[in-house]
Amino acid sequence: MNQTPAISVVFTPLDWVWVVLLITAMIACGVIFYRLGKRSESDFFLAGRGLPWWLPATSVYATHTATDTPMWICGTIYKWGMRGIWFPFFAAWTAISAFVSTRIFRRSLAMSQAEWQNLRYSGLGAELLRGWLAGWQTFMNMFVLAWVSAAMGKICTYLFAWPNWIGVIAFTSICAIYVLVAGYWGVIMADFQQGVISFLVITLVSVWGISVAGGPSGIVSRLGEIGESWRLNPFHFDGFWGLDPNLFYTADFITLLIMSTLGGIGMGNFIDWYPEAQRIQSARTVRDASYSIWAGGFVTLIRNSVWAVAILAFFVMYPALDSEAQYEMGWFRLGFEHLPAGMIGVFFAGIIAIHLSTISTHLNLGALYATRDLYHHYINPEASEAKLVKVGRLNTLLLLLGSFLLGLTMQSITSWLIFALWLQAAGIWIPSLLQVIWWRFNSWAYLSSWIANLVMSWLVVWVLPALGVLPELPNWLNFWLLAALVSLVYLPVCFLTEPDDREHLVRYYVQARPLGFWGPVHAEAERRGLLTVKGGVS
Amino acid sequence: MSLFKTEWTPDEADRWTIHDLLACVFGVLAFFLVTVGLAGSILLQPWGFVCLALSVIFTWLTFKVIDPKLRTLSDAFGEKQAGYLEDMERHNRWEGDDAG
Repeated sequence: MNQTPAISVVFTPLDWVWVVLLITAMIACGVIFYRLGKRSESDFFLAGRGLPWWLPATSVYATHTATDTPMWICGTIYKWGMRGIWFPFFAAWTAISAFVSTRIFRRSLAMSQAEWQNLRYSGLGAELLRGWLAGWQTFMNMFVLAWVSAAMGKICTYLFAWPNWIGVIAFTSICAIYVLVAGYWGVIMADFQQGVISFLVITLVSVWGISVAGGPSGIVSRLGEIGESWRLNPFHFDGFWGLDPNLFYTADFITLLIMSTLGGIGMGNFIDWYPEAQRIQSARTVRDASYSIWAGGFVTLIRNSVWAVAILAFFVMYPALDSEAQYEMGWFRLGFEHLPAGMIGVFFAGIIAIHLSTISTHLNLGALYATRDLYHHYINPEASEAKLVKVGRLNTLLLLLGSFLLGLTMQSITSWLIFALWLQAAGIWIPSLLQVIWWRFNSWAYLSSWIANLVMSWLVVWVLPALGVLPELPNWLNFWLLAALVSLVYLPVCFLTEPDDREHLVRYYVQARPLGFWGPVHAEAERRGLLTVKGGVS
Repeated sequence: MSLFKTEWTPDEADRWTIHDLLACVFGVLAFFLVTVGLAGSILLQPWGFVCLALSVIFTWLTFKVIDPKLRTLSDAFGEKQAGYLEDMERHNRWEGDDAG
């Protein structure tokens, strides 16, 4: 990890009381649902598909509020000013997804995105795609667990000067207790409690920090005094476009806006889609699924705005930090250096809530892919429900151990997240839309786009610039370059291979009712009498 | 077709209509405006309060335009869900017609 200077935080007995009380409540809240979690595979991974919208909505928010999130947002706002708020704006994909891809995915009833590939596509290509996505997602969830745990390690080093491994391992292990015992029931119920706690703590610390910096008018006037008023303007860009990776162009803003909004039409084009897919299927109706995704995204953006102003407050207090490792800890410093004694414990408990809500989701989600899509579908299709729950628990444990190994090797949080959240999705962004809206887009095309993107994203972003073959490009250009390069692979593959089986497509179409270019499939479904004249399901 | 249509048949609700498009557009506007509006409001900027108020209006419009349709299609799909789930489990266990 980058070394962040430790500070001397004094925990009074009252602070420790807060920490112990809240950790106990979080674990109890999860463990209490032990009996529900062990009933079936559907209960262990989807809470029996019966949740009202506000439970998965809270989970959407809680999951995407991780210990690394304030570091990332702090990193972008401190560096770019208020225009940095467009980096985390990708959460806005839920605005369109709620009424498009969420509806289609909920109607497919797939337990995971990998299973959806098997319902949308047919034949060997679909099986390969399901296996690929299941394996990839099992690894990615371990990877997310690792970077979130790495962030917790960094915080504990900063606070207590503990060796990094203690923060990486200790709190994640606490979370594993209720995920192992109660599965998704434990995750969702603890997420509700943790979501409420984290929102209150984020608001409390941010308002406190803003107040310490002189209040809203104090921040505005101080920025003026030091010649940094541009930081208040979310639309202050360095020209329309350019090639300097250290500038923020209008082209960056437009790219982020297009990616984050229209991306909601697709499935699987954001790393966030995969946990959201689980929440969508755990909602009791299509309507509950739509509202859970919409509301979760909306609250996430509210959180971003509160944080952004708090980081401006931090900037006016500490305007000369030039190391990312220093300024990405800004929000934590606001709390630990300025809250009164007795409140530090509440803040730390809030951080633990933030940490556990993300960890629990990715432990259960990674285990879902390993269990439902790898074990149940490929290894033991006849497994009993009891056996599947046991395997789910074993996979949870394996993910936990794997994440510890990865988490101890990670470096800068901000750089990792911009790569993982944005650039690594660039090449599959368009294919992920096409698979939803175009009947002719087949499994081979989607599979090839994934493989091409994995190779090209590493080459374009890391390897070729390091070798001096390519200059380091700005983010917006990286995104569109990768989108174009990958299309050179999947478009020929699509047209050179057969469409998916028509019978299979009709079955999917009648159930999921996707939008877009499905004319031949619609006509076939209608010819077979599976649709009414007006297009409804008969 | 009324933009705030309150009565839907299951057949109508299953089709993609202007209401879905409007819910998406209003939703994106609400998200965009709350992002800049809330930050601006906390900083006591007049434009912040205007954006925040507009965000509330677009949020209301989103649900006004889509909720009746969502209710109807949800209810209609809910009646078929058990059958679809049985099919899906057969497929996962490699028992379906095109299971692999």
